[in-house]
Parts: sequence; C-alpha cells; structure tokens
Amino acid sequence: MSEATTNIIEARNLRKTYRMGRVRVNVLKGVDLSVREGEWLCVLGASGSGKSTMLHLLGGLDRPDRAGADGGGPGSITYGGKDLRKISAGELNRYRNREVGFVFQFYHLLPELRVLENVTIGAMIRHGRFGYRGAAKREAIDSARELLTAFGLADRLRHRPTELSGGERQRVAIARALVNRPRILLADEPTGNLDRVTGESIIETLAETRERLGLTVVMVTHDERIAARAERVVRLRDGVLARDGFAGAATAGGA
Amino acid sequence: MYQALLTRKYLTSKVMPVLAMLAVTLSVGTVLVTWSVMGGFLETLLSTGRKLVGDVTVTWPTIGFAHYDDLIERLEADPEIEGAAPIIETFGLVTFPDDSVRFAQFKGVEGESFARVTGYDDSLWWRPLDEPTAKDSEAQDPRLGDETGYTDTQGRERRWGWDQLLRDGMTLTDEGRPAAVIGIAAGGFSRRTSAGIYVPQAAIQRGAAGGATTLYEFLPHSDVTISVVPIDSTGRPRGEFGLSTQTVPVANEFFTGLYEADSQAVLVNLDLLQEMLDMDEARRVEAGAGGAVVNPETGELELRGFEDMGIDPERVTSVLVRGKSASSREQAVALKSRVEEIYASFAADHAGEVPSPERIFVLTWREINATMIAAVEKETGLVLFVFGLVCFTTVFLVLAIFWSMVSEKTKDIGILRSVGASTLGVAWLWLRYGVAIGVVGSGLGTLGAWAVIANINEIHEWLGNDFGPWLSKVLTSVSSMFGGGKIEVNLIIWDPAVYAFTTIPTDMDWVKVSVVVSMGVLTCLLGAALPAYRAGRMDPVKALRFE
Repeated sequence: MSEATTNIIEARNLRKTYRMGRVRVNVLKGVDLSVREGEWLCVLGASGSGKSTMLHLLGGLDRPDRAGADGGGPGSITYGGKDLRKISAGELNRYRNREVGFVFQFYHLLPELRVLENVTIGAMIRHGRFGYRGAAKREAIDSARELLTAFGLADRLRHRPTELSGGERQRVAIARALVNRPRILLADEPTGNLDRVTGESIIETLAETRERLGLTVVMVTHDERIAARAERVVRLRDGVLARDGFAGAATAGGA
Repeated sequence: MYQALLTRKYLTSKVMPVLAMLAVTLSVGTVLVTWSVMGGFLETLLSTGRKLVGDVTVTWPTIGFAHYDDLIERLEADPEIEGAAPIIETFGLVTFPDDSVRFAQFKGVEGESFARVTGYDDSLWWRPLDEPTAKDSEAQDPRLGDETGYTDTQGRERRWGWDQLLRDGMTLTDEGRPAAVIGIAAGGFSRRTSAGIYVPQAAIQRGAAGGATTLYEFLPHSDVTISVVPIDSTGRPRGEFGLSTQTVPVANEFFTGLYEADSQAVLVNLDLLQEMLDMDEARRVEAGAGGAVVNPETGELELRGFEDMGIDPERVTSVLVRGKSASSREQAVALKSRVEEIYASFAADHAGEVPSPERIFVLTWREINATMIAAVEKETGLVLFVFGLVCFTTVFLVLAIFWSMVSEKTKDIGILRSVGASTLGVAWLWLRYGVAIGVVGSGLGTLGAWAVIANINEIHEWLGNDFGPWLSKVLTSVSSMFGGGKIEVNLIIWDPAVYAFTTIPTDMDWVKVSVVVSMGVLTCLLGAALPAYRAGRMDPVKALRFE
C-alpha cells in the first residue's frame, strides 16, 4: 500500500441539482472531500445517494452547481492547483483524457471496435488527427498490449467486446482507463455487473495495478466487502458525506 | 484519428448508412444520366443545326449585296478561313406533285461551295449505302439496294441509281436542268420509321369536290413548282403581280435532324433563284420620254428613249464563312472579328455599291440560332433543377438516418466524451461520417451513371424490345384473370420515328461529374450537420446513462 501524503484532488461544498421535469432533485448537498495522492478511497452508499454523481464531478464529466439552493457559496474541485469548475472546456477534455481514467459498471466499450482499438482510443484522442502516428502510435499500442497482457488478455487483442466474458470486458475497460497513464482511476461500481468470483478478480486486478503504477483510486460501491479492500472509506447518505474514516471503521459501522 | 477509425467501423457494420449511401448513389446517378443525355441532346442539336450554316454569316437580307465574288475571294485568301459560299435566302411557296402547296424557306446555293462551308454533302439523304444504319436490324433501308425504282401511278416504271441521285444533289441539277433539293420532312412523301430510316409512302391528292386520290411518288426526279417574290435592288417587289414561278425537278432530299430545316427548307440552284428573284446580272435603265416603238423598217418592237444606267451586278443575301477552327464559342467570335475586318476593307473598295460595315450583319452561328440554343439550354436547366430538387430530399433522408444513428450511438458518444473527446471532435465524427457516405455514394453513383451512359442504347433496346413486351404479356395475363383486356407497355422512350437521332446522344464529362459529386457530398454534409450538432452538444453523463 502506498504512502498517502498530499491531497491530489479536493472537493469543497460540492453541490449538484438535477431537474426532472418540474422537480428539482438535490443529489449532492455540500460535500467536502479530499483524496490523498496514491490512496485507495472507497465511496460507499446506497443507490441514489449521489456517489456516481460525485465521481462524475471529480472526473470532470459533469460540473457542480454554481451556488447551492440553500444560498451557500459555489463549490470547487481543485486538481493541480486549478478549480475544475473554472477551467475551459478544452482543459477539461485534456483533464479527462490524461489525468483521470474512468471504469464503469457496465464496461462501456465501443462495440464496433476490437479490444486493442478500444484500449487505444484514449491515446488517439490525446494525440489528435495528425499526432497519432509513428512513435506516439507505437508507444500507445505497446502500452495497451502491456496492460492487456498483464490482465491476461494477450490472446484477445483482435476480439470484439461481444466475444468476451463480463470479467474480460471489465479488464479491457480498466486497460482503456490506464492507457494514457493517468494519476487517478475513478471506478463506478466496477464489480456491480459481475458475479462474486469475477468481481473479486477484478478488485484484485485493480489492487495490483494501483500498486504497480502508484495510482490514486477512487471507487464507488455499495458492497461493504469490496469497500473493505480500500485504505479509506467515506459514506454518502442522501447527498451528504456521512462518515470519513479507514476501511475497517466504515465496515464495522456499515449498513 | 478516432473519427476515421469509427467512421470506417460504422460504415462497414451498419445497415442504415448503406441506405443513406444508396439514396446518394441513386440521386447522383440519376442527375448525371439526365444531365449527360440532355447535354448530348443539346450538342447533337447544335451540330445538326450547323449542317446548313457556316461558322459566320455576312448578311444583307431581302435585297442582297453585290460583288460577293470579290468578298469571297478576299475571305478565302485569309489563313484562318477554310472557305466561303454565296447564298440567297428568301421565302415562298412550293407546290408538290400531289398539288399540296406549302410555305417554304428557299436557299439558293452552289452545291460545291455550299458543301465546302457546311455539312451539306453529309445531309443528302438518298445515296448509296453499304451497311444498314444502327437501328435498321432488318435492313429495310431502300438505300441498301443497287438502285431505286417503282412503278408510278400512271403505270410507268421509274428507276435511278443512288450514285446518280447523290451527284445530282451535289450539283443541284437533273440532266442539266437547274433543280431543287428538298428537306425530307417537307413533302410528306417519305415516312421516318422506328429504325431511323425513311421509306417512301403514299400521299393523298385531294380534289376540289372532296375526293381524294392515293398518289405514290418518290420525290427525287419528280417536279415541284416554286414561287417567289422578286425584289429589285431598291428593295421593291417587282410589279403588282410579280410572283416568279418555275417548275423544277427534285434532285435529292436532305436530312439534317433539325425539324425546322427538314420540314421547311428548299435548296435551289443559285443561278436559277437569282434569275427568279431578279438578283442576276442585268442592264439597268431609267425610263425617259420614249417607250416601246415598232420599227417601221423591220417591223420589230424596240425600246427608245430609255437612259442606260449601266450594269446591275448579281446579288446574294448572304455569304457563309467557315473557319479552319471555329467550333468553340470563343473561336467563332474571333472568326467573326476577322470577317468584319475583311468586310470593312471590301466595303471601302466598293463604297456606295455595298452596305457599309456598320450596317451589314455579321453573325456567328450561335447568334443566328440563339433562340433555339437558349431554349434547349433553358430546358436542360429546368430538367436539372427539377431533378436537383427531387434529389435534395436526400438531405432529409440522410438527416433522418443520422438522427436515428446518433440516438442509437448515444452511449458511444458518452464513452468518447469520458475518455476526453471534445464536443467539436464528436461533431466532426458525424460530419466526417456524412462526408464518407457522400463520397462513397457519389462514387458509386458516378460509376453507375457511367455504366448506364456507356450502354444506354443497349439498355433502351432491351427495355423496348424485350422487357416491355414481356411486361405487357405478364400484365395482360394478370388482367385477363380479372376479366380485363390487353395491356400494352411501351418502354421505347427515344423513338427515332419521333426524334431525329437514331441513338440516344450523351455527353458526360469531368466538369459535370465534379459538380454532381460535389453536390452529392454537400447533400450528405447538410443532412449530417444537425445530427452532428446534436451529438456534439450531448451531455456525456446523460449519454452514458442512455438505455
């Protein structure tokens, strides 16, 4: 387990409201969260508690509210000294592409692409139309091969997602998230669509990869057993951070 | 880069883009075939329209101008000019062997010089023929035999060789007599068949009491009567009843493919028409106090008291000029300028005897036929506009298909945004996809159009001769099952009996292909624009949650 010292990302007074027809739903109601560099943080919470929303905000996939409905000031998400709420759309794209990697519950692989193409898609976006060639292309493909080989998928490079099992698909998704060597891995219920044995193997893969690459992992789950593998667990309840502590404590006081 | 990869993958794995591509292929193919056929039609019309005119015409209508031999000599001395020919153009009446009287446009020509500046020799219809024409599969063309002949209404057997008819047509004479060459559709004595050939047919001679006699007459070597109004050098018609009438034999018939010429023009030996119109060389006198007096010694009538004003030289209304290279509009205009310069020097040397350079009409063949050319060009434009409008619906088809595809691929859009794709990048993916469909669809449409155009006559033959009768048979069978009658489906669209061309003319070039392909790609780009905008603006979180 890595030594967690400085905060890599900090969320302050994080609020998010969705409008569903005429109804406004306050999903996050002022969450403060600091993630230390290299730590494995688990966000525990029931369905609808706002944990996926928080992950999307941390990953720059969505933007927090400017000001709270209760009149509170605007929240912030600080990464590398910059507030994600204030950076340009282009900078936010680059942040998603290079600094974070997403792993989703339903894998979200592009069905028309083969395994190797799915993994290198982030590198293609990173280098652009004219940059993805020569050394950059070779480097991306080597990196993808290396990750897929490490995940036991060396013989599946030319397969399509529909030809893979659930566990294999999730490993491909993890490889895709890591191909640009991000500093943070954001995993949204990565085992939620898998059986117990496969789910454990995915968690094992994540743990080994984090150890090997020195990654910071923020994982969202409602499974207490998986949360127990994390270094630190926070619990979200009704859009509010209910508990922040080490995994053992969280598990002990679990639902 | 990822856009290129996904475009390729989407193109090869989905049915919907194939439908969009098919729509583009059909649109591009249809417009190209239409444009090529209409363009070919215009080109053929222009080339047939030029058969009886030169590249540039020098004209002083009605009265005509003198010293034309000198003008022709000067023109033919110019290195840019191939030849020049005198011609008289006037209007009058022609009476055919069945006593029918038709209005006609007379052209007085010298066969040899006229053929040098026009396509006259090619237009003479009755001539020896070694091979049947393209559509005459049953070799029914009378010209294929050694000679022609028939027994006329009076029971006389009449025979001529085709060579003789061609020679007579070229010289506009018949056994030394000045003759006429008539447009083949003017008299109605020959019928154009579906094989694109002419066969003599019976004419009806109508009587005053309402009776009618069938008259079988082959027009060449028959006599026709031509009547014209002579105009003197001052522009006045001759006398009160000054109609000049002559009966002349028909030397041959001509076919240009231009109905207006083939149904109205009558070519007449130039010397004869000059004489009939008083445009030949003559002594000009002014009437004084005298008159016609009987000489008491000789008992003969003599003209006395007239003042001899000299010789009135022979005149023609036009001189046709053919350039060595004047097929394009620009070349014709350049030739016109050269002819104007030559005419100016000619007019200076004959000051007071010929029209001044400012008044004479020097016109290119395009200017002479401007109305007809403009009409066909407008028709082509109109047809293309209508087809273009129909094909514009492809924009909405592509839009509908792309809109549906963007909906289907919403999750892909969310995934791409989650790995860092920009809104513009995602929009460009769909625009690029539209361009790819446009390029592939237009390419296939061009290939299809090329294949159709290259084989359009064979396709047309097959439709008319095989598919049409087969379809008629099938439809008749179905109809008879329900107590209906016979159903005839005629798929002969380009019938040589109606059109002057035996084959469908086409004119496909790279300019047309470039324009139509560009429009095809633009159509797809327009159709893809709105879905692309929608894809780019899509909220990535909502896109990822899309089910």
